[in-house]
Amino acid sequence: MIVLQLVVNGVLLGGTYILLAQGLNLVFGVMGIVNLAHGSIITVAGLFTYWFVTHTDQSPLWLIPCVFVAMLAVGAVLQRLLLEPLAKLGTRRELLSLMVTFGLSYVIVETALNFFGSQYVSLPNLQETWSVGGLAINEALVAAGVLGALISGCLHVWLHYTPSGKALLATSQNATGAVTCGIDVRRMRGISFAIGSALAGIAGVLLILILPLSAPTADTLTILSFVIVALGGLGDYKGAVYAGLLLGLVQSGVGYYLGGDVEVVVPYLLLITFMVLRPQGLGQAAR
Amino acid sequence: MAAIACAGVVPLVTSAYILQLATDILTFAALAYSWNVISGCTGYLSFGQVSFFGIGAYATSALVLRAGLPWYVAAVIGSAIGGASAAVLGTIMLRLRGIMFALGMLGLARILMVVSSNWDFIGGAAGLILPARLTPVAVYFAMWVTVLVAFALNYFVLHSQWGLSVTGVRDDEVAAAAVGVPTSWVKIIAFILSALAPAAVGGLVAWNRSFLDPPSAFDPTLDLQVIVFALFGGIGTLWGPALGTVILVIVGEQFWAYLPDLQLALYGVLVIAVVLAFPGGIVGIANKFGWLRRKPVAAPATFPIVTRPAQPAAAGNDAVIEVRGLTVRFGGLVALNSVSLAVKRGEMVSIIGANGAGKTTLFNAITGFVKPSEGGVYYQGKLVSAIPSHQRARQGIARTFQIPRLMESMTVWENTLLAARNGKRATAAVDQAAWALHTVKLDSLWLELPNKLSPGQQRRLEMARALALDPTVVLLDEVMAGMTRDEQGEIRAVLRHFRDLGVAAVAGVEHIISAIADISDRMIVLDRGKKIAEGAPDAVLRDPIVIESYLGKVS
Repeated sequence: MIVLQLVVNGVLLGGTYILLAQGLNLVFGVMGIVNLAHGSIITVAGLFTYWFVTHTDQSPLWLIPCVFVAMLAVGAVLQRLLLEPLAKLGTRRELLSLMVTFGLSYVIVETALNFFGSQYVSLPNLQETWSVGGLAINEALVAAGVLGALISGCLHVWLHYTPSGKALLATSQNATGAVTCGIDVRRMRGISFAIGSALAGIAGVLLILILPLSAPTADTLTILSFVIVALGGLGDYKGAVYAGLLLGLVQSGVGYYLGGDVEVVVPYLLLITFMVLRPQGLGQAAR
Repeated sequence: MAAIACAGVVPLVTSAYILQLATDILTFAALAYSWNVISGCTGYLSFGQVSFFGIGAYATSALVLRAGLPWYVAAVIGSAIGGASAAVLGTIMLRLRGIMFALGMLGLARILMVVSSNWDFIGGAAGLILPARLTPVAVYFAMWVTVLVAFALNYFVLHSQWGLSVTGVRDDEVAAAAVGVPTSWVKIIAFILSALAPAAVGGLVAWNRSFLDPPSAFDPTLDLQVIVFALFGGIGTLWGPALGTVILVIVGEQFWAYLPDLQLALYGVLVIAVVLAFPGGIVGIANKFGWLRRKPVAAPATFPIVTRPAQPAAAGNDAVIEVRGLTVRFGGLVALNSVSLAVKRGEMVSIIGANGAGKTTLFNAITGFVKPSEGGVYYQGKLVSAIPSHQRARQGIARTFQIPRLMESMTVWENTLLAARNGKRATAAVDQAAWALHTVKLDSLWLELPNKLSPGQQRRLEMARALALDPTVVLLDEVMAGMTRDEQGEIRAVLRHFRDLGVAAVAGVEHIISAIADISDRMIVLDRGKKIAEGAPDAVLRDPIVIESYLGKVS
């Protein structure tokens, strides 16, 4: 029974993890860079959600569309100002864009610390537990897991069935080829970062429902997202779904059997072991 | 000398505040210089060098507390333990590249933090109280020693012939291996060099604070600060880390008093601003005015003309390179299908074939950059399939690349010297490099960077690099592609007297058949991974199967 319970929890956690990773994945696919500020956007969105709910007493779910639109704009501006200037730098671009997003993550986290403080907070909403056939199912976990998976599904539909989404997917698969098809790759870079940030924002709103967050969790979330993306294959959207579910399951199991201390370092251990064992098996990363 | 005199005077004449400030500068300079070795010079961006700071801090503390060693002995041993742990961790971490390595190091620091929190022998999560053993003046002088060691290591990496291997790894790891650089070793050594000073600094800082716990030992913000300082001064330069640290620590000291909570956020802003406005840092700006420029490694004042009498390669009829039943698969794609061929001593063999015929894969398999799925590669009669690329290069299998892979930050001279080293003594390597450059007639351009060369000159530099290895066989991958008639003529002239240069055999992959038909002894034709023809050029080019492969079937 415990195993089944852990599996259900793991799958629901995995649903949120998928969303956590897809934003990072999108940015990597199109721009070829890893956004080290990804986790800090998630964290700040989560902390803002906590602040909003405790001050207005509204349901956190109302925030999802607002955060999406706001982060879309913020992401577009950040990309234009900070990352687009590096796009033409050739071989040094990877290193420099890592530096820029590394710096950006500190700016966001430290500013958030000054606003929200450093204590861990979590939302008291949606704390009911349903009992289904002997399993205890947490309402928040269901909301976050199902919404996370649903929004990832929307992303999938957008990427595969709409002209703008297809253009983005094409750019992600082969930027040079996309240019020859008349796609404005520069615009695609902007769109990918805007949507990547918006997805990170929503992930934060959902995450605060199920996990306590504080400003310093940002790094862990960046790594967590990166591990999911890397396990699934950088730039591979379907792979990230499986990897997100896998990581949800692993963490729920490790957390139960080995304790919270180990659970925290699971993403790091996975990152190092998996990448050492299969350095070439990671698609584009192994070039 | 003046600097050293000043350094000695600081603790005698000034306040405790200035002494602390000076110690801070030295601390960060030592860390910035160490980060510079692995991330600046070797190109492996690390967000977790604080791991070695923490390992050193714990090692030193344990040695003093539990073993009762004097602090200076403990600091030296702590530094050695830092280096040893880098050797062990490096074998794992350095298999990761780019972002994987950067985040892997960040993760390593986190893992070490969790481990140290749960290890009671070193104080666990509560930390260790360290009794006061060091005076601030002692810490100050110990930091000076550490900084000077870290600076000397940077000087060694940036200005020695061995250091060229490090720069080579940063610029192009594959090309470095192709000219005989043992890249895995070079990276691990650079990693060890970048761990020594942080480990010593960790021990000193812990004793200076009289307290050590996991969050202060493995503090990730320390890496942010170190990166800001090195970036601001100029990454991968000799003076950058010092300049960046001195300026930013002194300016910061004035500034943070007013904005204590925003220090790290402003460092973040600074990183972004420097990357966008002047990615080369202060040294990059100074270079534009001709100051602080790095001098090419081991370059004499004028180009040393070295001429050698012709040394014809030994005659014989044995196969220098032979592949037997070579098959290479990439997933479902069969790039080479059971190909057997030999290049004999004294021969110039051309391998031709349409795009996708498997020509470059063949060369990659011979030089060890692609692992054969089946079959073996033999060099002078010995199976070399299990030998790593750099050793094959050192044993005499030289190659050029289809698209020139030159070290972009190294001069023409240094590019050649890197290949010429190949286990030689320094002066012999200089002679060898000069001879190779003179042979391909690049003497007048010896101090230029590769991106200033024309495509034809770049290919000649690739040939000089191959010759500098003292090769027995040279594999030329489309060396004529994209060249003008005149340039092709120059290459052909060099190729014609390759044998007099001691090269026993040449194999060339080529598309421009007219340029090689008359200088080849034999031609081999590949088509979709299979050998379809072989023989004298005239006969091969008239072979209907070959014509069909190139032009399609004529009905």
